[in-house]
Amino acid sequence: MSRTMAVARMQLINKWTYIGWPLTILAASFLMSLAIFALIPVQEGKYGGGSQAPMWYFLVLGIQSMTLAFPFSQGLSISRRAFYLGTLGLFSLIALGMTGLYLLGGVIEGATNGWGVYGYFFKIPWVTDGPWYSTAAFFFVVMMFMFIIGFWFATIFKRWGTSGTLVSTLGSAVALIGLAALTTWLEWWGHVGSWFAQQTPLSISGWAALLCVVLAAGSYTTLRRATP
Amino acid sequence: MNETIVEARNLIKHYKDVNALDNVNLSLSANRIYGLLGRNGAGKTTLMSILTAQAFATSGEALVFGASAYENDAVLSRICFIRESQKYPDDFQPRHAFRSAALFYKNWDQEFADRLAEDFQLPIKRRIKKLSRGQLSAVGVIIGLASRAELTFFDEPYLGLDAVARQLFYDRLVEDYAEHPRTIILSSHLIDEVANLLEHVVVIDRGRIIMDADAEDIRGSAVTVSGSAEKVDAFLAGKKILHRETLGSLASVTVDEVLGSRERAEAQELGLELSPVSLQQLVVRKTMIREGGAGAAGAGPTAGDFADDTLEAKR
Repeated sequence: MSRTMAVARMQLINKWTYIGWPLTILAASFLMSLAIFALIPVQEGKYGGGSQAPMWYFLVLGIQSMTLAFPFSQGLSISRRAFYLGTLGLFSLIALGMTGLYLLGGVIEGATNGWGVYGYFFKIPWVTDGPWYSTAAFFFVVMMFMFIIGFWFATIFKRWGTSGTLVSTLGSAVALIGLAALTTWLEWWGHVGSWFAQQTPLSISGWAALLCVVLAAGSYTTLRRATP
Repeated sequence: MNETIVEARNLIKHYKDVNALDNVNLSLSANRIYGLLGRNGAGKTTLMSILTAQAFATSGEALVFGASAYENDAVLSRICFIRESQKYPDDFQPRHAFRSAALFYKNWDQEFADRLAEDFQLPIKRRIKKLSRGQLSAVGVIIGLASRAELTFFDEPYLGLDAVARQLFYDRLVEDYAEHPRTIILSSHLIDEVANLLEHVVVIDRGRIIMDADAEDIRGSAVTVSGSAEKVDAFLAGKKILHRETLGSLASVTVDEVLGSRERAEAQELGLELSPVSLQQLVVRKTMIREGGAGAAGAGPTAGDFADDTLEAKR
């Protein structure tokens, strides 16, 4: 068994971290949403944002895998490359599983008229409107994005400490504000608006996937020189 | 001579304004127990981190099993280095940490790990972040021992462990080492406690190696001479003095020299008392001389500055 696989297996030794907690969070959020849907006496579709709850936990997992699992892996003399590939592989596996669950939930939801109470937990207007693979791509990429952004910020933190994290966060904010200012100045908001209007969930997934790849590549180069 | 498995050449590690490692050259051979001794902050952990590629040297070369350990699975799979401040995944319990180690060390002995956990009375089903300092040290010690890695580092492994647990660790280490020879590097500042285990001693101070010798050769390499100050000083004229302490007209002087049988006889005639110097005393004296502390040759009487065990014992 390769050491990369072992890294993924190692992080699954305690089943709660990557499997138990996300499912618990999903179930809790689902049941609460359902209770609320049932309490609203309306006979038409009710939509809630509860299905995003596990995604925030993935952000935390991304951070912790870097701040805690990485130093531990160093103690067991695991190379940075094996740790990176194993962890990213594990992320994808979990995101894939969760995506499957979301799709299945969506199917059941549709077949039961919103769990009999016209409540839609997995179905999100616009996002799940397209074909199934577009919905799947969207969920998968968003989950990966949450993992990777957490992982990325944590690599910055491990490598350059608090000041590095602050600089990169503020830097990103300044860059975004600068872009917005530039757009206003050039009077491009109309174009931006129509660009977004043209996007489908699938194309948004594509762009987000591209961002994921850039961030993942960035974290790898940073991780290569990180110390526990 | 056994094959060399660790080789450091001109290692320098420079932090902002300190030289954590200042041109370290070191060569360690297989199947021995090494002591890496020195004060807190002397550079022990830095040196071990660089050898295991957990940290990076500013310059110089660190070879383990003939190659750099950095991103080198062939080398890394033969090394275990649980640091004193080792971090563990948030939800992990000791048993999870042991199962992780089992995934990566081909010689991992689960039965041995279980036995050790019992010996150390370690609650293996409690979250690691809720463990006491001593229990946390026990987790590291167990991984280090049960992994049976060819090159195992113990980084101040006794922190928070009580005297019984420390003795247990030393005993298990020696027993297991006898059955499964490997290279062990024990970093410590409790020198007297580990002195008997060590086959070779490396002392590091402020980033420099100040002693690198077989324990055998160190024993008896220094001696403390005590008696009337006048006679002691006359007897030791021209010798390399490590420490001098006076109490009234009496002096107790430690010299970094081996006395021949003629000198010993002479000392006896003069009524001078000779006593051996423990490894710990030797390391302390050598470190203090280097750091310009009291006790340097010609520094004059320094009685009272430091408790001198030999003199105290005689009173």
